[in-house]
Amino acid sequence: MSMNDIDERLTEIVSKVLLLDKGEVTDGLRRKEYEPWDSMAHLVLISEVENEFGIFFEDEEVVDIWTVGDLRKIVASKLGV
Amino acid sequence: MSEIESKAESILKAVREDPSYLNLWSAYKRFQKMDLPEPEDPNKVVRIAVIGSSTLEPLAACIDIKTRLEGLAPKTFVGGFNTFRQEALDTGSSLYQHNPDVVVLSVDPWSLLDQLFLSKFVRMSDDEREEALNNVVDEVASVAETLAENSTALILVNNFVVPVFTPLGIVDNKQTMGLREFFRVANEGLMERLRENSRVFVVDLDAVAGDFGKSKMINWNTYYRGTVVFSESFMPVLADEYLRYIRALKGLTKKCIVLDLDNTLWGGIIGEDGMEGIKLGNTSPGLEYVEFQRVLLSLYNRGVILAINSKNNPDDALKVLREHPYQVLREEHFAALRINWQNKVQNLIELAREINIGLDSMVFIDDSPVERAQVRQALPEVLVVDMPKNPRLYRETIERLKVFDVLSLTPEDMKRGEMYVGKRKRAELQRTAGSLEDFLRTLDLKVRIRLADDFDTPRVVQLIGKTNQFNLTTRRYTDAEVREFRDSSEYRVYSMAVSDRFGDEGIVGVAIVRCECTTWVIDSFLMSCRVIGRNVETAFLARIVADARSAGAKEVVGEYVPTKKNAPAKDLYERHGFELLGTDGDGVTRWLLNLDEKTIEVPDYIQLIEE
Repeated sequence: MSMNDIDERLTEIVSKVLLLDKGEVTDGLRRKEYEPWDSMAHLVLISEVENEFGIFFEDEEVVDIWTVGDLRKIVASKLGV
Repeated sequence: MSEIESKAESILKAVREDPSYLNLWSAYKRFQKMDLPEPEDPNKVVRIAVIGSSTLEPLAACIDIKTRLEGLAPKTFVGGFNTFRQEALDTGSSLYQHNPDVVVLSVDPWSLLDQLFLSKFVRMSDDEREEALNNVVDEVASVAETLAENSTALILVNNFVVPVFTPLGIVDNKQTMGLREFFRVANEGLMERLRENSRVFVVDLDAVAGDFGKSKMINWNTYYRGTVVFSESFMPVLADEYLRYIRALKGLTKKCIVLDLDNTLWGGIIGEDGMEGIKLGNTSPGLEYVEFQRVLLSLYNRGVILAINSKNNPDDALKVLREHPYQVLREEHFAALRINWQNKVQNLIELAREINIGLDSMVFIDDSPVERAQVRQALPEVLVVDMPKNPRLYRETIERLKVFDVLSLTPEDMKRGEMYVGKRKRAELQRTAGSLEDFLRTLDLKVRIRLADDFDTPRVVQLIGKTNQFNLTTRRYTDAEVREFRDSSEYRVYSMAVSDRFGDEGIVGVAIVRCECTTWVIDSFLMSCRVIGRNVETAFLARIVADARSAGAKEVVGEYVPTKKNAPAKDLYERHGFELLGTDGDGVTRWLLNLDEKTIEVPDYIQLIEE
């Protein structure tokens, strides 16, 4: 799986859960500053990413994902790319 | 289409292409942010509530969007976490303020049991087990009953998933009541307790989960993180199960299966392979087709209409239907047949007309992708089944369709097949009779009209829900509303049963009349399309007018509310001497019969059976 491939699939999930067009998804998008990113959306986001990539997030990791950039970084590290 | 409607359509298109949980959830959230206009047809609105013991918004999202995909306009309420008891008991709760048409009650049995239930189960006495069992059943059933009492909604109650794990292992069923039996018996208890309640339905969650795979029905991460008790992949499947009830409630049930013959009902081509050459017999290849036909026959026996649409020489094809020793479906099982070289689209249109049902209640089954594509394109309202190439999967394909559901199975449903044979014979007689009246005279028509009783009510509700053509006002009332009308002194609910020498049609007509002192207003007047053309509506109106007169009324008022489908009922009041009172902006006409000046007689060829 290439980095581009991962990015593409992550952007797709983020855009669907956070109700954005793909072009509107930026690494700087911050949970506390974006109203649709509530706790339910966060739960859905995390489980969809887990299902898509076959990975698992510890509770601490879930809490520490504050931005789209954080999510990208942790997915990349779990997938070893 | 307005901008907002085309946006809604583009969201739904994405879901149609890939109905994954992620897409359903995303669509639900997007719809919540949109300010959609009310649908033009108020019957399209479905007020849904999902309540229970866990986090239910994800499941509610799937139900909401799947309902939208049916062309309906859902308004969905999601209950709080484990607050279903308060919501059900408090008649002022936001659940009841939502005024639901459908309530899904999803209670995890483990949330009702002692926390140490699993640990202690092996050491529990038979009495303790039975007590726990009765408690679980009673808690869920009584909440369901309360919901039914406090609302007019249809209540859909999940049964309990029989666990795969038991601490007793392989000797679980050597116990008087093992752990797995505990849940099986609880499910039976739930079923029995709620069987007689016409508005509470036990949804067989255990069977749906078993079919899907119990090991995949829970995602333990979301289960522990957010108490979401169903996995992302299972929720759309479970939502499909609830949709069966919603479709039945909204009259979206399919009524007729239109079948191709060659390579559909049998293997091979009768015109080329001949009687001995086609694959149809008690061993494979051939058994596949016999068993497919057996499933079709089972649907016929519970009231699904069958018809044929085949490109063939009629003599060749009819010979199979009449003489082939392994043919299961015979000529008398088909309400109408089109065996010719005509275009199948044209045949379907003719079949719909002959059987007298809408194209939108037809299902088309044909092995040829070309025929299917043509029908799909020309008649998008027909459900065209994607038949697999492999005939061994035909049977499973039809078993998985799940589009023929009704909320109650009436005697009229069970006899429907025979009734269509009567209809075919009647049509033959009509061709030989001179005038319509001559024909009607030979029919020996009998009509029984009475105030609907408990026995009639399920059929009355069914007719109100699904009659589209001969329906003056198309007001859909639920079981609860009809019962309220029956109990009210202001209203009268009539049922009409019709029989003739070709058979008993059972209850085919409904009228709801509101009695306002000297004016009787016909709120609803409808008749199954099966009896259109026999002038029984005249006998029905005559009875209502006679009752009005003897109750001291001076006038009877009727309304006609035009829809896309009810043109056959348009001139009912005019034909019977009513005067036009006026027409409003939506084309609704109001009609008046002055009882001092006019009356309506029962035609002399109809025998009215008084009760």
